[in-house]
Amino acid sequence: MDRRAVNNKPILLVEDNPDDVTFTLRAFRQNNIGNEVVVASDGEQALQVLLPSSAARAFQPALVLLDIKLPKIDGLDVLRRIRADPRTESLPVVVLTTSNEETDIVGAYRLGANSFVRKPVAFSDFLNVAKMLGMYWLVLNQPAPEWASGG
Amino acid sequence: MAEPVRGNLAGPPRYPSVPVGPDQLQALVDHTSAVIYMRDLDGRYMVVNREYERLFHLRREEIVGLTDHDLFPAEIADEFRANDLLAASAGAPLHVEEVAPGNDGPHTYITVKFPLLDAAGKPYAVCGISTDITARKRAEEQVRQLNAELEQRVRDRTAELEASARELDAFAYSVSHDLRAPLRSMHGFSEVLLADYAGTLDDQGREYLQRIQANVTRMGRLIDDLLRLSRVTRTGLNRERVDIGAQAAEIIDELRGAEPGRCLQAVIADDLVTTGDPHLIRLALENLLANAWKFTGKREQGTIGVGAVRQSGNQVFFVRDNGAGFDMAYAGKLFSPFQRLHPTSEFEGTGIGLAIVQRILSRHGGRIWAESEPGKGATFFFTLTSDDPEWTDGP
Repeated sequence: MDRRAVNNKPILLVEDNPDDVTFTLRAFRQNNIGNEVVVASDGEQALQVLLPSSAARAFQPALVLLDIKLPKIDGLDVLRRIRADPRTESLPVVVLTTSNEETDIVGAYRLGANSFVRKPVAFSDFLNVAKMLGMYWLVLNQPAPEWASGG
Repeated sequence: MAEPVRGNLAGPPRYPSVPVGPDQLQALVDHTSAVIYMRDLDGRYMVVNREYERLFHLRREEIVGLTDHDLFPAEIADEFRANDLLAASAGAPLHVEEVAPGNDGPHTYITVKFPLLDAAGKPYAVCGISTDITARKRAEEQVRQLNAELEQRVRDRTAELEASARELDAFAYSVSHDLRAPLRSMHGFSEVLLADYAGTLDDQGREYLQRIQANVTRMGRLIDDLLRLSRVTRTGLNRERVDIGAQAAEIIDELRGAEPGRCLQAVIADDLVTTGDPHLIRLALENLLANAWKFTGKREQGTIGVGAVRQSGNQVFFVRDNGAGFDMAYAGKLFSPFQRLHPTSEFEGTGIGLAIVQRILSRHGGRIWAESEPGKGATFFFTLTSDDPEWTDGP
């Protein structure tokens, strides 16, 4: 296996629950994931960060961690707009949410989510989830080249 | 030797032929419940029968020479007249439904009208025989109304059901999203305290935090099980061919894979094929077999049997184990959600599994019941169809 560089671009965490933000940051730290984490606390903020109306080339995170139930614009709507815009259509989006409702899972995949992960109740399990997400999306996964996301 | 009686061979005995006179014909038309009348081509009454007199409170002497326009509202008289002319011109009997006023509102008649022809074959009068079918009409109308009401009631009930299903969906969705988040906070901050403040906590303090975490984890499992139970009700039912034996074998393999150290003998009968929703039946079997697996955990040699028996012509499936069993005095509680017959310390569980199984079977129209004795294992019997003559109660 060839040695890959760790993707050190920022991670966009779309999460309205401040406790979950705390745990996610802590879990990254405990797993030595040093990427900058940009937090958007609702769907509207997430879209402002990702798809600013003025810029042709926008913020390109290594990964979007997207909650579903969000104030203002919900996660699935955010996902729909991410996929509809040429600047973000290839962005890796992992839905990270409390629900395991089949309608949410099916909806997320239909809209082009790259993965659907349920947040476990136990923090030790969540640590493990963060570790595996970091390992997969920041190390193992090969993202689309820069030129593919420019509009 | 007697002469053969020819009459008997030739047919019914003959009566002397008596000419039938006008009085006799009048008697005949007067003793029927039909309304009989004759009008000339100008619509003037020539004759009516007694039923006519009774119905319209007129004597025949008074009617002769009058027209329907003298007797009835114009609209009704116009219709009678039109039918008379139609019968006269058709030259053949005309069958129509007519409405005439009665003591208790309009009455409907089925009427036969036919023309009387003169020697030249020209019509000179029209006879009518009208039979009152109001009672039948009213009964038909009543049936129609009852049907309409019933349909409306079915529509209302269906709408109510759909509304409550939507409500249940929304409720489950909210539970699924919102109820687990506070648990994550409780578990997570307990973890933070344990990790970051270990120095300021004594053993007792740490143990309390761990107990909080254990309970939070358990609550998370309860919420998940509740959602699983509600999902069984919320998902559609597709009937297909299902091989219960093959499903049971797969599930037992999975249980073995998860706990390879266990020594357990599984006996699965052949030909356990039935019709039902494969996903739901698999879920029911998973719960039944996981129970059997769990409650045989303390046996040196656990045994699980899956089979079927015939009971009053029905296929009754069973899952049998030689595990801990239970006291039949509590059998009624088995299938209610969150009812447990063993302490959590002895056997882990939330008490939702058998409630899920029961709901799956009742959605198929079947049922489940159990036989057991403490320490001697348990057998769970179930059917997947409702044509069980012994079963009269239940949902």
